[in-house]
Amino acid sequence: MSTLPQKESRMTTACPGSDSIQGLPGNKGDGLERECSRKPDQKPLKFYGVGDPTAMFCSSSPYLSSRGSVIKWFWDSAEEGYMTYHMDEYDEDKNPSGIINLGTSENKLCFDLLSRRLSQSDMLQVEPSLLQYPDWRGHLFLREEVARFLSFYCRSPAPLKPENVVVLNGSASLFSALATVLCEAEEAFLIPAPYYGAITQHVYLYGNVRLVYVYLDSEVTGLETRPFQLTVEKLEMALQGANSEGVKVKGLILINPQNPLGDVYSPAELQEYLEFAKRHELHVMVDEVYMLSVFEESVGYRSVLSLERLPDPQRTHVMWATSKDFGMSGLRFGTLYTENQDVATAVTSLCRYHGLSGLTQYQMAQLLRDRDWINQVYLPENHARLKAAHTYVSEDLRALGIPFVSRGAGFFIWVDLRKYLPEATFEEEVLLWRRFLENKVLLSFGKAFECKEPGWFRLVFSDKTHRLRLGMQRVRQVLEGQPQVAEDAPPCQIQEPRGPHK
Amino acid sequence: MRDQALRYRSIHTQLMEMVLALRQTVEDHITQLTTRPQEQDPGLEEQRHGQAIREQEALLGRLLFQIISFLPAGAPGNQSFQPPCTSTDSRGDAGGGQPVQTSRQTGQMFYQESDFENTIISYDLSNRGIDISALYHLSFRDYNTYQGNKYHKDKNTLGYINLGTSENKLCTDLLAERLNQSDMTYIDEDLLQYTDWRGQPFLRKEVARFLTFYCKTPEFLDPENVVILNGRSAVFSALAMVLCDPGEAFLVPTPSYGGFAFSTHLYAKVKLVPVHLESQVTEASGYPFQLTVDKLEQALLGAKIEGKKVRGLVLINPQNPLGDVYSQDSMMEYLEFAKKYNLHVIVDEMYMLSVFDEAITFHSVLSMKSLPDPNKTHVIWGTSKDFCISGFRFGALYTHNREVASAMSSFGYLHSISGIAQYKLRQLLQDREWIDNVYLPSYHFRLQEAHRYVTHKLKALKVPFLNRGSGLYVWINLKQYLDPCTFEEELLLHHRFLDHKLILSPGKTFMCKEPGWFRLIFAVRPHLLRSAMRRFQQVLVEQEQEHRVKQLEDAMKEEVSTSQPETPASPVLRKS
Repeated sequence: MSTLPQKESRMTTACPGSDSIQGLPGNKGDGLERECSRKPDQKPLKFYGVGDPTAMFCSSSPYLSSRGSVIKWFWDSAEEGYMTYHMDEYDEDKNPSGIINLGTSENKLCFDLLSRRLSQSDMLQVEPSLLQYPDWRGHLFLREEVARFLSFYCRSPAPLKPENVVVLNGSASLFSALATVLCEAEEAFLIPAPYYGAITQHVYLYGNVRLVYVYLDSEVTGLETRPFQLTVEKLEMALQGANSEGVKVKGLILINPQNPLGDVYSPAELQEYLEFAKRHELHVMVDEVYMLSVFEESVGYRSVLSLERLPDPQRTHVMWATSKDFGMSGLRFGTLYTENQDVATAVTSLCRYHGLSGLTQYQMAQLLRDRDWINQVYLPENHARLKAAHTYVSEDLRALGIPFVSRGAGFFIWVDLRKYLPEATFEEEVLLWRRFLENKVLLSFGKAFECKEPGWFRLVFSDKTHRLRLGMQRVRQVLEGQPQVAEDAPPCQIQEPRGPHK
Repeated sequence: MRDQALRYRSIHTQLMEMVLALRQTVEDHITQLTTRPQEQDPGLEEQRHGQAIREQEALLGRLLFQIISFLPAGAPGNQSFQPPCTSTDSRGDAGGGQPVQTSRQTGQMFYQESDFENTIISYDLSNRGIDISALYHLSFRDYNTYQGNKYHKDKNTLGYINLGTSENKLCTDLLAERLNQSDMTYIDEDLLQYTDWRGQPFLRKEVARFLTFYCKTPEFLDPENVVILNGRSAVFSALAMVLCDPGEAFLVPTPSYGGFAFSTHLYAKVKLVPVHLESQVTEASGYPFQLTVDKLEQALLGAKIEGKKVRGLVLINPQNPLGDVYSQDSMMEYLEFAKKYNLHVIVDEMYMLSVFDEAITFHSVLSMKSLPDPNKTHVIWGTSKDFCISGFRFGALYTHNREVASAMSSFGYLHSISGIAQYKLRQLLQDREWIDNVYLPSYHFRLQEAHRYVTHKLKALKVPFLNRGSGLYVWINLKQYLDPCTFEEELLLHHRFLDHKLILSPGKTFMCKEPGWFRLIFAVRPHLLRSAMRRFQQVLVEQEQEHRVKQLEDAMKEEVSTSQPETPASPVLRKS
């Protein structure tokens, strides 16, 4: 993993931009930005990249097929940090010097609430019919409950229909199935980057589908109002770029609220992206797996299902799961909502491979039905805890003078550690990541999200206070021992465009 | 034959849709051709215009192709079928000289790519998406019909009884009771979070222990060699991916569980090369449908001649649908064969605890002292059949090959099981006392009873069958009810069962070479089995009556044709 591939990101020269950076939230630095944006940047900007998941692959196995060798290599390489963590997990009593995981996006704040709810007597029923082969689309009682649940929480203008719901064992499976039924092998989906990197494998493993990255920039230019903002112009350029290379793009993946940015699209933005997709006859997969994890009320999140009129309802497919919003990544429940019956049926055809236990389906239906508990107990408490943890970490970062991006949704903060890289390379990024790991704290580095700028890290804050404290302490230790490129620079200052370093 | 009528209607509708789509495209195409490119930026416009025309032409071609290839698949009459059966069965060639009554041809039962590819149209799906939908639709049509109208002894006595799906319904009461016990309801933080994608370590450990005990392995099995996914199909699908590249193949002795064809095709695009077994007993084979190394070699050679690359051999033991249990010696021969030709062997032991005849000893491949090629031997087991919990979605792979195990682990994300379900499975598998003293004795007793009842009925009806002591099914021979003995007639008989609200699986879905075989599942509760067998008998009686009438008619016709030169058009004879 040390030599990170550049070949996968084909460079395209663009109009000169500027390297500016948004500092702390609320701290605009307007004057500086404007000044900076007048300075022409000689460095060519990358608009898009065509992903090649196998770019780094080298050794094949005599026992495996060629694709099997690649698949094995995925397992061996991608799990590096996770494996190290699993061999030396932090435990307050048993292994206090073990690794703290601020890398995996899991909500560990509400286990007490969940375990109490899941232990209630209504959860324990075992009907013989739950032990038998199900309707592969998901038990009807669950699909009905999902439709009601999404109608309510997505505030859909009309009640959603159970026949448009397909239930599977997690959104990973859903990506796999959708990629397979919407694309031929080697075709592609557009995805704004940085993005939740695991999708690369989800669509590649079975589907052999590629991702075309729509690169977003940390600096705010033109009509943009925030860092890493997605615009239709960027989508258009990436699509054109992919087409010019002969890559056939079949769809667009949107994650809303976004992972790792914590960004939330406004209804107007959503509408624009959907119109863009419609113009080019692209499917849109909207992954709303964090829709109930918007802990900042002022954010005003809107599900795509709440739009009065979808530009192309037959090509709009919505994904949701309980792994994030209900802190149950181990429960393996995900769902698709689509009005397109061909797509629903095709995905169902693959559900034989992505089914979930009838007992789990029963429990999910019970959980989603309990609106009182969700509204009065779970959500308020979950949001309060997320907000407290977020406040703690963001204050810590401010004290350290570290810029970051965060808008009050999700479990993570997108942290700008560029000034701690002696050189703006992905090699240096990995070295810094290793230093964190050596100091027993696991973070995720930006390259894993296909961020085009080295030096960004995702820091997950949805963990218990004592772990979070210790984790942040370890982060601080590493950064304090790390020479800064611009040591005397105030946190939100504009860095010089990446030129020669000292 | 309402089903048949419905099917015709759906074919008709699809054809109409195709023609309408074609017309629209032709119109668009003409418009495009007659429109002049606009003035501004003529070069670019020209280029776009040209591209649009080419795209439309491609679409036209595709639509036409769809319609053309749809016609022989969907329309009655043009289907070429396998030759009539050649078995020594007394009725085998009874209909040999008769023209096939093509007008009674219905849909397709067994999937060959050309059959289903074009029966669904969608502009939103990829070609493989269409292919997947169509295959699913065809394979699960009966199952879905059943789901929509299930038999219930009080509420829906006219509903379907399903003796087609290999699902164990004999002991759901015992399982529901066990799963309701208090030790099952534990919840831990780890169970709700991401875990080891190969399966929770506690469950892999328990599976290793369980298999060590029930497979009687010479040494303790290693939990690191266990990969857990959500069901046998998932294990098989992932194995096909990591062992074969698209278009490569596995050898599989047939008749064989049809789900394999499904699992290898849908995602992995791996082919199956059938090793056709015969009901006829010859010098080389001691019993019907016996698998011999000779047959394996022939099939392998045949595949090579056709340019297919065979990567492995799939063995089901106890066999589905035959119910055969391979002896240790035979198994060793098959494994040696595989080693000789450098093939992987996937041994599916899904029914290993469903051997109910005490006289039969099942030997797991894991019990062998030394495997010829341990790095290429992969064993599959799950709880769906042996523990009546097909709805639980649990399948396990045991392989000594760490590379295969690692590659399989990558699929953990896509085939994962809920932590809560994994916990329950562990509790279940570790309760050896309950399994040995309560569950297995009752389960085997119920299987014996059901098997005895069904075989007794079959004997009374003079229906030949393979009398084996394992599995949830009997493989029965209904050739005598087919006239002529063709797959077409097999399908018609299958539809006659459906008309009587009874689902059986016809031999063609198992890639059986000889028409007339059916698999009948007996692992259902006694009252259901009794009703099912009544329906079964009724169908056979009807079928026989129809045959008699037909034979009589044929005899008459013959009489007429031989007597025709002398007395043309005798009204009396015509009347009969």
